[in-house]
Order: sequence, then structure tokens, then C-alpha cells
Amino acid sequence: METVAPDAGTRPAKGHALRHRVRTLHVMAAAEYKLKYSGSALGYVWSALKPLALFTMMYLVFGRVFKLGTISPYYAVGLLIGIVLFTFFADATLGGTYSLVSRESLLRKLVFPRTVIPTAATLTAAITFAVNTAVVALFIAWKGIVPRLDWLLIPLLLLELYVFVLGLSLILSALFVRFRDIAQVWELALQLIFYATPVIYPLSFLPPWAQSIEFVNPLTQVLQDIRALVFYDDPANVITATDALGPYGRLIPIAIVFATVAIGLLVFKHDEPWFAERV
Amino acid sequence: MGAAPEHAIEVTNVSKTFRLPHERRDSLKEHFLHPFTRTVYERQVALTGVSFAVRRHEFFGVIGPNGSGKSTLLKILAGIYRQDSGSVDVRGRLSPFIELGVGFNTELTARDNVRINATLLGLSKRQLDERFDAIVAFSELERFIDRKLKNFSSGMLLRLAYSIAIQAEFDILLLDEVLAVGDQSFQEKCFATFDSMRAAGKTIVIVTHDLAAVTRFCDRVLLLRDGSVEAVGEVRATVARYRAKHGDTDEIAVAARA
Repeated sequence: METVAPDAGTRPAKGHALRHRVRTLHVMAAAEYKLKYSGSALGYVWSALKPLALFTMMYLVFGRVFKLGTISPYYAVGLLIGIVLFTFFADATLGGTYSLVSRESLLRKLVFPRTVIPTAATLTAAITFAVNTAVVALFIAWKGIVPRLDWLLIPLLLLELYVFVLGLSLILSALFVRFRDIAQVWELALQLIFYATPVIYPLSFLPPWAQSIEFVNPLTQVLQDIRALVFYDDPANVITATDALGPYGRLIPIAIVFATVAIGLLVFKHDEPWFAERV
Repeated sequence: MGAAPEHAIEVTNVSKTFRLPHERRDSLKEHFLHPFTRTVYERQVALTGVSFAVRRHEFFGVIGPNGSGKSTLLKILAGIYRQDSGSVDVRGRLSPFIELGVGFNTELTARDNVRINATLLGLSKRQLDERFDAIVAFSELERFIDRKLKNFSSGMLLRLAYSIAIQAEFDILLLDEVLAVGDQSFQEKCFATFDSMRAAGKTIVIVTHDLAAVTRFCDRVLLLRDGSVEAVGEVRATVARYRAKHGDTDEIAVAARA
């Protein structure tokens, strides 16, 4: 006898299934974002306030006390871009890690594509990121930097970062169902990654071998490429992947992004049938 | 061999064993000394060799004492759990939920929750827009629709959840323990919708402890015991068998909780 996948009957057509998945994603991410700030007086403003507060402190300590601000007129804006990107990276992957376990009741009572859950968690972080991007845009305008056509590459770079974050979230969320130590491991890893990414210090302070290591991380490549695009009249201060890893240097972090998503899908699909009984 | 055409669900020789992690770390020290020691698992057999078929347009009840495997069976039918062996053959669209109010969030308003829940249950945006008023009207909660769910009583929650659930598109409805809660008047309203679902040719599989409701509505009943089929068939005989063997203890326990 042939075993029919139990959920086969609930999906009448492929196009319909995809549309429904997108809608479920949208509704879940929006609800999560709404929940995050429900009951707080300032609400959505917190999305922008948190990285701004972090930025102010770091600028005072590293920009002023340690005088890193003197090496480039764009240190402050560059720092803000770094903080906003890293905050998105950390929020999205950490939210992704907890997503399956915290949605336990959905997993046990509802049939739907499981990938929706970690994806919704990363999208919630993406909404916060979008709010922060508006703040960054204000800073850039205040600095008097005139936009250029090649800034259209920035959304592509952000897409690359999002895909990386999504792949990590798929891996982490599935692993967290099995090993609850993963959350501790990842929280520690995030702290280490923060200092292993040129957020507060310029890459030029590092020896070449250390620069090469940092560019293996797609977050570094995306951050430096965005800085290079935005601070186009100050190129000397921005080292990109091609400077550190050779003319095709960008291919290494990009390949890592694709590998992360591929591994993420494999790990997730492998464990998917057992999420409901393991969470 | 496929499912006989008159069958909505055909279950053949399904078995399921859970591996439950067994906490065996005695001290914090041990925890740190052997952080990667594999956890010991205890095997718990939930279902063994379960076979039965649900006919189309049938109201099918699943009864049995606590821990007999009813909910596990329902989750396997829904595709939430995967059986270790055996096959489940389903003809028709299954309802994607097995409980009411899945994904309800008490911090959000009833309006938001209707949107979220209906979407999770498979309604498209247009369907939701068309049916939103019907959902609210059926629940009789118009006045409370912009109130947060944490201020709802459990009866109100159930009414809202049920009103959304009946708007979902399905041929086969799977429900776990829905008849045991809710006030009398709303239960009657639910029962009326059961009748109209049946008239519309839907198949309903329900897991419950409410033997009175089973006797009143079900066409046939499956009696599970220790993960195996003890009896399947005509309602009165099967319910009588259950009552004779297990007494009414479970029913009383549920009534006390509700």
C-alpha cells in the first residue's frame, strides 16, 4: 500500500500553497513584532532607540576616548551602520534559535510548513532593522553624503546578509530542539563575533592575515561593502573583501552564505518530522 | 492496493514509540564533567498495530482511557507525528488543526487573533475578509472584538476559536477533546454545526471523553486501550464495553476539570 503524505491533501495547488506560506509568514512576523512592544509606552520607538543608545556609548568610548574618530570623518556613521547590521544579525539568529521551541504549541497542534517559524522570527528582526535603516539614512543625509546610483547594490548586499541569517536560523532552531545548550553557545558566539567583526575598529588596524580571517564571515564582507559604497569619497579608509582576499575575494563569503543555507535546509528537513514530539 | 473509495481515512498497522529523554545527571558537577554524554532515553510505546478505516461522511469517535494513545493517533492522522511503521491513507483535505484556538495570543486583540488564527487555518486574505463578519457574528462576541484575549473568559475563547475553525476549508475534520468544554448553549450551537457539516458531506473524527456526546453524534466508535484497538464499530455496544471495562472514572475526571 502506498503511504500518502498526510498533509498532501491540505494543499490543493502549488501556487496556492506558496501564497498561503507567504501570507502565514507575513501575519506571524507582524504579530510577533506587535507583541514585542505591546504594553510599552514608547512602542516601536524602542526599535530605533536600542541601537542608538549603544551607538552613543560606543562612539564616546571608542570614537572619543580612544580617538578612533580622528582617523576618518565617517567614523561615527560607519560605526552606526556596523551596530545596526550587527544588531540585526544577532536579533535574527537568536530569535531564530528560540523560534521552534517557543512555538511548541503550534508545532503540536497544527499542520503547516515548519520552515515558516524560523523564517518569521528572522522577518521580525528584519522589521526592526528596517526602522533602524531609516535612522541610518537620516545620519547619512545629515553628513551631507549625496546618494549615488551604485547604492542600488546595497539592497542586494542586505539580501545576502538576510539569506545568511536565514540559513543560520534554520540550523540553530533545529539544533536547539535537540540540544538546549545551543542557545548558550550561540549567545557566547555572538559576543565573540561582535569583536571579530570590524564594527568599532577599522580593519586597517589588523595585520593582513587577521583581515583575511575576518572576511570569511559574510557579515564582515557585507558591512565593508556597504561602507565602501556609502563613503565613496573616502575609499582609503574602507578595506573590502577584494583588498584582503584577492580579486575574487568576495566569492569566499558568498559561497559560505550559500553553503549555510544549503546545510540549514538539509538539517532542518532532516529533523522536521520529529519536531512536534521533541520540542 | 489503495484505499477503498468509500473510505476517507484508512489506517493500517500503525505503530508509534516515543523516546523520552531520561534525566540521569545526578549533580551539577557531573553535568559539567560530561556535558556531551548522550542522554538516556526511555522507550514508551504509544500505539501498536492499529488498523481501522473511517468511512466518508462519517462522524467517527475515538475513545479510551487516559494514556491509551488517542491523541497520538489523532496527531499521526493529521501528520503532526510520524508513525514508526504502518500506513495512513487519507482521501480529501484534512483540517490542518487538531485543537481549537491554535496560536491564540492573549496579548493581542480578538480581531488580530481572528486574522492570525484564520490564516494559520488556511484561509486566504479574501476568504478572511468575506467571512470575518460571519466569524464574529457566530461567536456572538461583537462587543469584545477589540479587546485583548487575556480579558476573555475560557468560554468566550472557545466560542471565538470554534467560530473560526468552522470557516476553515476541509473535507475531514480532526478534533481533540472539543466537546468537554464550553457552556450548554454554545455546545448546542456546535452540535447544530456538526449536523450541517455532516449534511455537507464532511467527515469528522473526534477524540473525546464525553461518552454522552459520542452516543448522540457518532456513527461509529474506535475504542483504544494501551495503544491497541480494543473494539471498533457500532456506538452503543462499544461505549457499553468501555463503560463496563473502565468504569466512568475518566469521564468523571474530565467533568470535574471542566
